[in-house]
Amino acid sequence: MDFLTAAKYASLLSKDYAEDIFRLLVNYQAISASEVATRLNLHIKTAQDFLEALEQLDILTKEEVLEKKRPYYRYSLKQTRLVIDIDLMQVKREPSPHSLALYIREKEAAGARFSVARNDDYITNVTIWTGKGREMEERKIKLTTPQGRFLYHLPFPKAEPLTVEEIMQKAGIDERLAPEILDLVQLLEKYNVIESLEGK
Amino acid sequence: MSLVRKLKPDRNITGVLVSLSILPIFGLTSLIFGISTGMYTLVGMVGLFGIYYLYGFIRTGNIAQLVICLYTVFFGYILFVAAGTGKESPFERIEFGLAYFLGLIFFGVVIISIALTRKAKWRGREIFELAAEPIEDIGNGYTSRPRPVGKVDYSPQQVHGFARFCARNLIALPYITSKNVTLVPIKMGDEFGRLLGLSGDYRDATWVNFDADGEVSVHIAQKDYLDYREMLAFDQLCTSLGQVFIDFFSHYNQGEGVRVIDRLDELKIAIFS
Repeated sequence: MDFLTAAKYASLLSKDYAEDIFRLLVNYQAISASEVATRLNLHIKTAQDFLEALEQLDILTKEEVLEKKRPYYRYSLKQTRLVIDIDLMQVKREPSPHSLALYIREKEAAGARFSVARNDDYITNVTIWTGKGREMEERKIKLTTPQGRFLYHLPFPKAEPLTVEEIMQKAGIDERLAPEILDLVQLLEKYNVIESLEGK
Repeated sequence: MSLVRKLKPDRNITGVLVSLSILPIFGLTSLIFGISTGMYTLVGMVGLFGIYYLYGFIRTGNIAQLVICLYTVFFGYILFVAAGTGKESPFERIEFGLAYFLGLIFFGVVIISIALTRKAKWRGREIFELAAEPIEDIGNGYTSRPRPVGKVDYSPQQVHGFARFCARNLIALPYITSKNVTLVPIKMGDEFGRLLGLSGDYRDATWVNFDADGEVSVHIAQKDYLDYREMLAFDQLCTSLGQVFIDFFSHYNQGEGVRVIDRLDELKIAIFS
């Protein structure tokens, strides 16, 4: 299951009337949105939206029926067990040879402020400013120690750029920590603090 | 040795202002409360200078600071006696006049010699000129990040000894922690703020750090970088500043500390600059 689907599940399950609606769905063979609403004293729109969302997640099936000439839907449970199963490794950024071979350095006039640790050679946080004029906001990014050591050894603006791998070696950072380093590189590149130069 | 200056001319008058501020304060207090109160105020201000130079001596071990402190004690004492004698001028008494003029001549000669030999001069400008000397490339590239410039083999005792040497000769003010020895070069005029802790955190100033693992890193404050006439290649400038201190350390380690002083004197930077 991907994060987005899991988030939809979680969002629905977190409603305070969710358990009551599921109780009705389990005990009734099929039920309409108006029946749910009157039974639980909810607004019909609330019940309708909840049932529609469950149907979209493939938890319910809906069947169109006619009462006199007015059509409406009746919902019935498709499965009696809900399992939220997320493989966290799907969001892990595996360092590719390409990403580690990227030449980078600090961007000129990046406008970021770096705070250095008092007792060691690493940077504790980076402060960047986003937006313009009155909309400008300060954003402080706290760094892990390996990230701080990496940034400490990042080449200066206009200096000879180095690959991510070379900087990690200079800073004495273990290869296994590459994902968190690449995450920082990506973030600082987004905020124009770091520039990458293809093939130098 | 090149005498082409890469720093802008020194127009900092903080040092002069601090010293000269005595005069209007003396004048005003004399005008309002009378000459005797004015003299006591002057004694108080000279005393404050004395305490400042005593602290400077304790912090750096620089003998010239102690001599200036002794001079302020002498001068303050003379003023104190002169202020408390009522209508009769103490200078009309031969003993007092003799003590005053002999003391004045003695301290005058000593202080002029200290000034001429640059013993009481903070060497920040020399350090920045030396760092900029080999840099020819132009191009901004300033960053507030420190720059690791290399690794040097030293024992903690050696680097602490070097820090004391730098302080004694006013090359840089050391800040020592359990893991780091950080040397902060200070230009003339900036010493009051830095010594009295009024210039903010020393980590925001220009510094060269020697850590426990032998790593040497450099940070140049934007204010100091902007003091150069041209936007020198920042990366090279940091490396060069680090190299200046590594060379100084090497001279000191070989017992050739005097060569460091010679190198600084060769730049012939003005005494009060």
